[in-house]
Amino acid sequence: MTTRDFEPVGRGGPFRPLSSTAVWRLASFVLVFGAWEFAGRVPISPAFPTFGATMAALFQMTLDGSMGRAYLSTLQPLLIGLLISGVFGILAGVAMGLSRLFEFFVAPVFIVLQAAPVAALIPLITFIYGIGLTAKVIAVCILAAPVIVLNSYKAVRNASPSLIEMCRAFQGSRVQVIAKIILPDASPLIFAGLRLGIAAGFIGVVLAELLITPTGIGDLITYHRSVADYAEMYAAIFSIVAFAAITVSSLQKLETMVFRPEKKEG
Amino acid sequence: MFEKARSIFLPVAGVLVLLAATIGQSAPAQAKPVRIAFGDIASVESLNFLIALERAKERSVEIDVTFFKSEDIAAQAVVGGHADIGVGTPYALLQKVKAPIRMFFQLSALRFYPIVNTEYYKGWKDLDGEEFVVHSRGSGTEAIMNLMAKREGITFKRLSYVPGSEVRAGAMLQGNIRATIVDAPNRNLLLEKGGDKFMVLPMEGVDASDEALYASTDFLESNPETVDILVEELLTVWREINKDPDYVTAQRKKYGLLADLPAELEPEIIPYFTESAKSGAFPVNGGGPEAVKTDFEFYAIAGQLQGNPTSLKIEDFWYLGPLDKAQNKLGRM
Repeated sequence: MTTRDFEPVGRGGPFRPLSSTAVWRLASFVLVFGAWEFAGRVPISPAFPTFGATMAALFQMTLDGSMGRAYLSTLQPLLIGLLISGVFGILAGVAMGLSRLFEFFVAPVFIVLQAAPVAALIPLITFIYGIGLTAKVIAVCILAAPVIVLNSYKAVRNASPSLIEMCRAFQGSRVQVIAKIILPDASPLIFAGLRLGIAAGFIGVVLAELLITPTGIGDLITYHRSVADYAEMYAAIFSIVAFAAITVSSLQKLETMVFRPEKKEG
Repeated sequence: MFEKARSIFLPVAGVLVLLAATIGQSAPAQAKPVRIAFGDIASVESLNFLIALERAKERSVEIDVTFFKSEDIAAQAVVGGHADIGVGTPYALLQKVKAPIRMFFQLSALRFYPIVNTEYYKGWKDLDGEEFVVHSRGSGTEAIMNLMAKREGITFKRLSYVPGSEVRAGAMLQGNIRATIVDAPNRNLLLEKGGDKFMVLPMEGVDASDEALYASTDFLESNPETVDILVEELLTVWREINKDPDYVTAQRKKYGLLADLPAELEPEIIPYFTESAKSGAFPVNGGGPEAVKTDFEFYAIAGQLQGNPTSLKIEDFWYLGPLDKAQNKLGRM
């Protein structure tokens, strides 16, 4: 069955039908959560909670404020790290795109960082930056920055040559070429890099909270695991996965709306 | 059409039969060799355990040890049936998840040392209203400090969490923290490097289990001989070490254990075992009902056990049959 098969259903009826994408999405959620509930009821392991128990724990943790407090703590290194990676990452990427010399010196660092298994680098961060907020911010940065930098760099480097040529033909200065042609042309790809960087930042902050010192969501996961409150542990994991997924998909929607209106869903 | 359906059906059926056979095979809890899940890397501190395993191997018990990153993951391996025996104190797991698992041998008692920077503190009372650093939320070190605060009649401003004795010792040396609790090797390191800068606060009567062996009841009941041999050898090695800590070095040599241990760590072996034996870290009777009651009290304070500790039943957590048998054979101490 293809998505087309869904299209005629309900067309012209009194209710506005769900789009075929929405139906598939809903079906996939039902399928995954249903499988989770089933696996918990079998159970595949006595330590594996059902979906229902996990959601009840999530509700309870939201009500008693422990989830809110954890997010306040987790968001701190995440936002600082993303702000630094965003500002400096885009600047560095644009500079690399514009200057071959800068590219020669800086690009290899980010290419290596992007390929490196960062979880293995985190213990090294603690040797240099200790175990506090700085170390966690650095963990977010080393995960988020490479993708932001490299996307910005590629975006600038691949800006349309014919547009640049046109600007020059109209006597545009170097500053005008950058400000009026290269940056606007590169902005969709830069924004896509920023979105991917934010997704990587989530990985960084959770890794840091699990591997450096347990705070925020990392603390909820570690603590509930140590006292065998597995529903609460999975609730914490579920919440951060859902939070990251919603954030990133909202950014994707924003990106489509602002930069690629032609791809907007109908 | 029928031919086509059959050509699809046959391979699919084949795969399903194979899958079913695999599942059927992996179902019995007992598999040879005995799979032990150890929640730490092999180090000087685990030599006693490794010696006991070697001795059990000499009595025809096949053993396969896997070293995990943490005790929690090792416990999951046992719960999931991927390992037969685990090392740790999974009280919370047993009570909350009601996993069919029981502990059967106390390997060590908690031995941690509260240590303070003498520039700021000289005794327990000075810690009233101050910050204290422990391993993690819900950990044994946190429970020890809550217990001591209660005993000393003090209240900490807050307990902070920094996992790893060596990390806390490093932070003490750098001056980032002023009061913490560490294990024996790191206490020695601090006293050696810091001299008068650090002092250990007196603490007595905290004897809860640090590590114990546990297995599924199914494994314990269906492999009595294996479990008996293991418990007998553990008891023998523990008693030998308590008599003469040098026993560890001789046995390490005999079995070629930790062959790649760095030369600078070798001199640490005897002092570690001498001191641990002296402080009673290695029980000569494998635990038993008294030790379990102490555990109930301690782990209730730690938040690992819920409810009144006096109402908890030993048989819901421990399987003491093999230990009884071994003590009858080797003598009670």
